[in-house]
Amino acid sequence: MVKEYNILISSVGGQGGITLARVIANAAISQGLNLRVGETLGMAQRGGAVQSHIRLGDGVHGSLIPSGGADALLSLEPSEAVRVGTYLGPDTKVIMNTAPTHPIPVMLGQATYPSLKEITSALEAIGCEVNALDAARIAREADAPRSLNITVLGAYMALGEEVLTEDAVKDALKRSLPERYLEQNLRAYEKGFEALTR
Amino acid sequence: MLDEKGSHKLLMGNEAVARGAIEAGVHVAVGYPGTPSTEVIETLSRYAEQADMHVEWAVNEKVAFDIGAGVSYGGARCLVTMKSAGLNVASDSIVSVAYGDLVGGLVIYVADDPGLHAGMEEQDSRIFAAASLLPMLDVSDSQESKDAVVNAFSYSEANKVPVIVRSTSRVAHGKSPVVYGHIEKVGRKPHLERDISVYTRASPVWCMQQHANLNRKVDALTPLVEKDHNELSLRPGQRLGVVASGVSWNYLMDVVSRRGLELATLKVGSVNPLPVNLFSRLVAQVDRLLILEELEPYVELRLKAFIADQPRKVAVLGKIDGTLPRVGEYDYDLVEKAVLKLIEAPEASDPELASRRDEARKLAPRRSLPFCPGCPHRGTYTALSQALKELGYEKGEVIVTGDIGCTILGMHPPFDMCWTEVSMGASIGLAMGLKRAGVETPVIAAIGDSTFFHAGLPPAVNAAWSGTPVVIAVLDNEITGMTEHQPSPASGFNALHQPVDVVKIEDMLRASGIEKVSVVNPFNLAESKEAFKDAIQHDGPSGVVLRGACALVARRNRLTGPPSHVDSERCTGCLLCVRTLSCPAMEEKEGKMSINSDTCEGCGLCAQVCPFQAIQGGDQ
Repeated sequence: MVKEYNILISSVGGQGGITLARVIANAAISQGLNLRVGETLGMAQRGGAVQSHIRLGDGVHGSLIPSGGADALLSLEPSEAVRVGTYLGPDTKVIMNTAPTHPIPVMLGQATYPSLKEITSALEAIGCEVNALDAARIAREADAPRSLNITVLGAYMALGEEVLTEDAVKDALKRSLPERYLEQNLRAYEKGFEALTR
Repeated sequence: MLDEKGSHKLLMGNEAVARGAIEAGVHVAVGYPGTPSTEVIETLSRYAEQADMHVEWAVNEKVAFDIGAGVSYGGARCLVTMKSAGLNVASDSIVSVAYGDLVGGLVIYVADDPGLHAGMEEQDSRIFAAASLLPMLDVSDSQESKDAVVNAFSYSEANKVPVIVRSTSRVAHGKSPVVYGHIEKVGRKPHLERDISVYTRASPVWCMQQHANLNRKVDALTPLVEKDHNELSLRPGQRLGVVASGVSWNYLMDVVSRRGLELATLKVGSVNPLPVNLFSRLVAQVDRLLILEELEPYVELRLKAFIADQPRKVAVLGKIDGTLPRVGEYDYDLVEKAVLKLIEAPEASDPELASRRDEARKLAPRRSLPFCPGCPHRGTYTALSQALKELGYEKGEVIVTGDIGCTILGMHPPFDMCWTEVSMGASIGLAMGLKRAGVETPVIAAIGDSTFFHAGLPPAVNAAWSGTPVVIAVLDNEITGMTEHQPSPASGFNALHQPVDVVKIEDMLRASGIEKVSVVNPFNLAESKEAFKDAIQHDGPSGVVLRGACALVARRNRLTGPPSHVDSERCTGCLLCVRTLSCPAMEEKEGKMSINSDTCEGCGLCAQVCPFQAIQGGDQ
């Protein structure tokens, strides 16, 4: 029985963070877990920072993770991992895609983008376990360029967290995503899984 | 959404409101899109036919509410939805309709936005319960959202009074489990008995009678509402209590669960009438009370007034003593800190860890919201900027009054165009006022199609009537963009995606009395620039309609072009295209420009601004 397990998904609009949250929520429902999902919706534009909070277990009530309370962070973009620093703590396991999406101010030289080393050090200073992978490249190599989100999900499942079962997650992939993309997504999932198993 | 009683579903608060409307056998649902309320009508529009419900988007919230009042007068049930700002637009009619008697149930759903996830004001709409005197329920999760709507219809119909259900962003957009109830089949018997003493406000004698009736109706609801929407947990000997409403209740339950606390608690789910009998039992026993409510101290002030009348002294922690803020949304940490203060326990935070978290957060670069790749507004502001330059104005010399919606994003670099954002349609009146204040440079109002239909028509007529020389630029992307693509009268389809005739903005401008009106393609910079120059130089009010489909809608309908590409031989890496257009599909690779073929919509603007003809593609 799970009392409280918090998954945070951090992404840039258009990367599929909201879809990933839906897959995880559907997997949790099929396992009969109590859950709350918190999202910020309402801006159709692409390119903004997007976060989804998924809270699982019998002891959860609010849809926002308490500060330091994330058990897992699935970050689809490196700088988005540090943006949600508030929710991270010494018990947080981080899965981080290392391929950056540079904001316009960075391209215009009006803002600086942190190096991967800076990002990883900052996360480790909080005490997080950082698992980095170039999910964008892995997804492309799996011939599933738009499945970066599912690649990260596969990598997360390789951690063996014993909250979500592999069967439930794969079944949720089938039920939550368009059928024509299912094979791509399953390939991306497997490659993500392997990337952290090796 | 149409499943039978007993089903368990994970629903967003707004989806739960939609389910509540279905269970209540609502005949008509109408609203205007506004974050965080939009998904109610969106959801209902998908089930309208199966649920035998008429679902529509109105041009604004006042029209939506007037339709709702008409439905009620005609003997049927109606749900009207809006965001907090929309409540202000509808308030003129709501306060009036509150006075007379209703026939069919009429429920207003309003969603506030503490923490401003969608921008604009942190209005606390609970205060409108005091202004309108209407019953109002406040919800904390999806189950309550559904149940509140179902109950609100029964209160409304039994007491012939509109009932408001108020939510907030975190509840409206949060997902939590819902158990479905029975779907009621409510017959329709259209009728209205003519009674001008009920349905008009034409005589002070009638109106004062109506006012007295309204107060009586709300008082009569107190026992029912108190029982159904509030929850008191009070054990003998408990001396510390917490009163919580809305989403704060969930944070309180998280704190109680994580820390294993035993506290007296009162959930307040009815803003008007307040659960005074439960107040009475609580303050008769506890010595110290913490009040948890976002935004204004609405419950706190009333509870304090209540306590002042009691023989016992009860200390109150809340906003007035500074324990909690009046600005921004609450979260677990704020609530935990306040509860620790109540129980006089030391603070839980670890300052060193907190500072490391801050260090991490500071590394993240700002992500301002840009226009999407393929957005027509990027062309509009680029062309306007070019027109002003050619007319001899410096950057930052000409005022553009912005309006609500995606069009306001022209305030960001590199465009730096919009100077103001006030409320729906205000761009035009502001522009007129600036001219009347004596501004000699041109003043341009930039407004989207949905916003124009919402509240831009009266000021357009006003500009023509008074002959004020302003340029009304209508950025017509044929959709309500920011709220994720609900139809406007410019779209050519309705809420159910059935085709309807387009109401043409240029016809509306001309009919308003504005003679100089042009229609251009914002993806054609030369054409748009010339139209702006003409309009700015015109002596009198003028209109420019810039018509190009929203990129996200075009993409969904597979109407976008093949992606553009950069000839790296010709590209000098000057990045003028990035500095002019700031398109998220642009990437810099090894000192040269590159275009992401996954995200580029082939709009062709970058090809038009490149001085080296290094970009190809994008024949719109």
